[in-house]
Amino acid sequence: MVILVKINEEKLREWVERFREAREIRRRHANWEFIKSQSPRIRVALEYYIETGDFRTAAKMANMGVDEFVDMAKDQANIPAID
Amino acid sequence: MASSIADTSFIIDWVRYSKNKYLFKIFDLVYIPESVLAEIRSERTLIWISEGLEEGKLAVFPELPDISREALDLVARSRRFPVRPVDYPEAFCLVVGKRFNLVVLSENGGVLALRSYDPEYYGVEVWRAIDVLYKLWRLNYVNSFKEELELYQQETRRAYSRRDLIRYGDISENK
Repeated sequence: MVILVKINEEKLREWVERFREAREIRRRHANWEFIKSQSPRIRVALEYYIETGDFRTAAKMANMGVDEFVDMAKDQANIPAID
Repeated sequence: MASSIADTSFIIDWVRYSKNKYLFKIFDLVYIPESVLAEIRSERTLIWISEGLEEGKLAVFPELPDISREALDLVARSRRFPVRPVDYPEAFCLVVGKRFNLVVLSENGGVLALRSYDPEYYGVEVWRAIDVLYKLWRLNYVNSFKEELELYQQETRRAYSRRDLIRYGDISENK
């Protein structure tokens, strides 16, 4: 069964812009020296998190719990949580 | 007092806040879905949850098949759009919020976005920590909204955008 839902496209566009701004802030504040010094698994996970804000998938990539990953991203990689 | 349901994004920030027990001044009961509990691993977060459960301030919300089904539909639907989608634990919270009229506590951008673009979820009340802090200030549990927000951002490393702050009159102190 297909349910048609009329999406608010203006809001959708607004959120595309908000996510772009959030990504810029994560990129700007990140401690790139720390990130580049990590093992490939952690480095790629942190880079993915910076680009997407998707902490859950990033934590899986890093093979860490979500809270452990986000704490590392904040405290060691200096990536603010922003959405 | 109202009840709420919290997702992972809210909890992992909130436990870093030194006044994290103040959440229970606003909500008499905060539910945590099983799927959220399952993905928490750090000692600090687990201690906060276990204490809350012991004190009867937190409760685990069970996996119910019809809610799970709707949550999975929502996950799939959110992936059709060019913005961050919702994952299962957040979708579960949104569905519970809608069906049981609970406040959904979330910092997840996918949730905040979906609630604003998907008319089926317009009515769900979603609060971020900034909304909880504002309410605490309005109820005189904290002296200054501005100072509390600064403390919260400093302790939790959660950043609010200018757009978020404007909603509150740029952290006005006018009640």
